[in-house]
Amino acid sequence: MSDMRAREDLAGLRSLGARSGPKAPPTMRGFLQRPWFIGLLALGLLLLVWQWISWVNLQVPGVGEIARFMFTEISGGSHGGALSGEFWAPLAVSLQRYAVGLAIGVPVGAVLGMVIGGVRWARGLFNDTVLVLLALPAVVWAFLASLWFGLSSWGPILAVVLTVVPFMAVNISAGVRNVDPGLAEMSRSFGVPFGRRLHHLLFGGSLPSAFTGLRLSFMTGWNSLLIVEWFGSTSGVGWRARFWYDALRYPGFVGWIFLFVILITLLDRLLLSPLERRAFQWNQRPTLAFAEEA
Amino acid sequence: MSAAVPSAPEATSAHSVRELRRAVRRRWGFRLSVLLGWAAFVGVWYVVSLYLLTPQQLPQPHVVATEAGELLSQRDFGRNFQASILRVVAGFLLALLASVGLGLLIAYNRWWRRFLVNTLLFLVSVPTVSFAILSLLVLGVSPMGPILNAMIVTTPYITMNLAQGLTGVDRRLIVMSEAFGRTRAQMITGILVPASLLSVLGGTRLAFAVAWRVGLLTEVFASADGIGLQIRRSFESYDIRGMLAWALLFIVIMLLIENLVFRQLERLLSRWRSPDGGAAP
Amino acid sequence: MATVLIENLTKVYPPTLNNPTQVQALGGLSMSITGNVFVAVVGPSGSGKTTLLNIVAGVERATAGSVRALQEGVPARVGYVFQEPRLLPWRTVVDNMLYVQDRKSDRSRREAEFYLQMVGLSDVADLYPSQLSGGMQQRVGIARAFLVNPDVLLLDEPFSHLDALTGRSLRDYMQRIWLQTRKTALFVTHDVTEAVELADRIVMLRPGGTAYDDIAVDLPRPRRHDDPAVRDMQDEVLRRFDAMGAAVRFGAHA
Ligand SMILES: Nc1ncnc2c1ncn2[C@@H]1O[C@H](COP(=O)(O)OP(=O)(O)OP(=O)(O)O)[C@@H](O)[C@H]1O
Ligand SMILES: [Mg+2]
Repeated sequence: MSDMRAREDLAGLRSLGARSGPKAPPTMRGFLQRPWFIGLLALGLLLLVWQWISWVNLQVPGVGEIARFMFTEISGGSHGGALSGEFWAPLAVSLQRYAVGLAIGVPVGAVLGMVIGGVRWARGLFNDTVLVLLALPAVVWAFLASLWFGLSSWGPILAVVLTVVPFMAVNISAGVRNVDPGLAEMSRSFGVPFGRRLHHLLFGGSLPSAFTGLRLSFMTGWNSLLIVEWFGSTSGVGWRARFWYDALRYPGFVGWIFLFVILITLLDRLLLSPLERRAFQWNQRPTLAFAEEA
Repeated sequence: MSAAVPSAPEATSAHSVRELRRAVRRRWGFRLSVLLGWAAFVGVWYVVSLYLLTPQQLPQPHVVATEAGELLSQRDFGRNFQASILRVVAGFLLALLASVGLGLLIAYNRWWRRFLVNTLLFLVSVPTVSFAILSLLVLGVSPMGPILNAMIVTTPYITMNLAQGLTGVDRRLIVMSEAFGRTRAQMITGILVPASLLSVLGGTRLAFAVAWRVGLLTEVFASADGIGLQIRRSFESYDIRGMLAWALLFIVIMLLIENLVFRQLERLLSRWRSPDGGAAP
Repeated sequence: MATVLIENLTKVYPPTLNNPTQVQALGGLSMSITGNVFVAVVGPSGSGKTTLLNIVAGVERATAGSVRALQEGVPARVGYVFQEPRLLPWRTVVDNMLYVQDRKSDRSRREAEFYLQMVGLSDVADLYPSQLSGGMQQRVGIARAFLVNPDVLLLDEPFSHLDALTGRSLRDYMQRIWLQTRKTALFVTHDVTEAVELADRIVMLRPGGTAYDDIAVDLPRPRRHDDPAVRDMQDEVLRRFDAMGAAVRFGAHA
């Protein structure tokens, strides 16, 4: 599903969002334009919509109910009966699996992508395979992994690896192939040695799509992990959500799902975005031709 | 006056004959490597299934292919396939509709741009499995789940592409139109629509793939029929062969739609791009 | 008969984010053009030539002063040839021509093809702009301007992006077509020799957008670039141009 386009699309998304205008004057209008105000407004609206759904559909727990339940869950208090809150243990297990999966999948996918992008016969050899793997829905990987590995941690890890590899490979190979042929010619004409070419030209040139690949990998890897844990695990955050779902304690179930979202958003904000900012210091991210005057 | 027709290549010189030979050799070499790639893919599959795992854990390729063939001939397949595809298409069309409104807002209103871009960016980062599970709770087992999720997940992609198409329009063309006294309507049909069509289509291909997968995932969790449910059933009865067969059909259909519908459409719409009238690079 | 009356025309671009000082593109320019004459406006880069044409074409507003382009008392129809071709890339050549036409009829296409032929392009009607060379695209732009049967023709350095040979042959085309049609023309260029070859009158702008000189070119047509009379006139105008350069030292401005 994600070829070069994915890269451009995401880059487009970012550039649309990243364009910050001049500092607004401290008027009412300026206040309404502040990013944090807009963010808060969006969050408030989201919660409001959720609350409204919970009024219409009695099965759906309200925001307050979810918050109370999650507070108990995080503080380790009692949920009534023999059930007590459990938060840090499932979180640690899942993050560990996620980290191991990414640590294996990202480098493998990156190297594969470089080879596919840079070597002609390798492209013929691996390209279709990678596309098929990419088209395979994560849920199939999840099912296979849990059938092969049972309840051990290797199932979730394998699922993460297998979803991440094709995403990285496709995006990096597209990046390598998009390196300006003019620059490549220039390097060859100056006799720049291969090692330096690889470093400065191929690596530098494919960096934007590498980041897109990384971002997509983080997203889909997390997704797969949750699916495997939901269907075939007795530990981890996915399992915990499933546990409350089976126990018909919907506030816990929904609360954990909200946590999935919060976790991945935090990861993006705290890890990926700063990295990206550092990597793109030389490059004002592309802005739109049409400007504020429209 | 220079000729409009490009001059014929000088195929007579020995140099260009050599060039041509090399090109042919390279092309055939590439085809060979593609073929080898497929052979290797199937070969690795056999090795894993026979030596690393067991044929029960990973059925061999020919077994899966046979199973898929059998599925194809059953009435079951038609029913489930139809259910899945109709939902995805419905969700997709709804997303397209929503995107026109949102895309226009983003392109032409600063406040809405800030608001919507951030919200949509956030929406893209939400793990799709959350939508799938939540629809189980909110909507129960219903066909609305896959439709709604396909819509929610694809809207950001299509919207952003539309907004980029609209905002990337060359302003000088607008000035030209004004100088020649064109009306707003003429500028919209002559400039804005063509400029945004292609960029929307580019996003559409990716969006359709995403919709197709989210639809499937939602069917796994909350549906009474569809390919997703069949995959889940196979999983629950440890029928790996059936599961892989359904997955195989799913992939084949997805790649077919992508290549037969979207790529062709794109080629048609981007005829003007390159001198040979072919698709964009 | 078309008239273009420019009175005390001023255009000031307000300061922007990336340019904190305002820019005066035109500073009280006055000139009047009556009848079927070919007027060249020459001036160094940034002297407000494009701005002038944009205001005459009605795509930009003047800060002060007025521009009236009239044909028998009613607003004149303008045909504009831009500095670059400005063709819609997703439309074929003929569709690009028809895009600017008001009345569409069976004759429209034939008319479009007629004007294409006039600029020496007969077989390209159904090609896309990307399939044409830069010079061919520019000629389509010229044909497009003639297609709308303009009362006033605006030309913004139409030959400046082209190589010397192509530029010369297009200038010859232009002269031939103009002799056939005799439209009132306002022709912007920074190339003095080009101006002498084509124009009846040359208005020199200096940086800041005011008129420096107004020279009548009284030479018989058709003119050839290697005609000694043309050469002499070119030398004369160039001398005045250099004098202006020394006077305003626009080298510091450029
Ligand atoms: N949209 C604009 N906003 C701000 N300043 C502008 C704008 N357009 C033109 N200018 C400024 O006005 C002045 C005149 O510009 P104009 O394009 O008319 O010059 P020109 O004589 O056509 O130059 P050239 O020969 O290089 O085409 C320049 O200093 C330019 O920077
Ligand atoms: Mg100009």
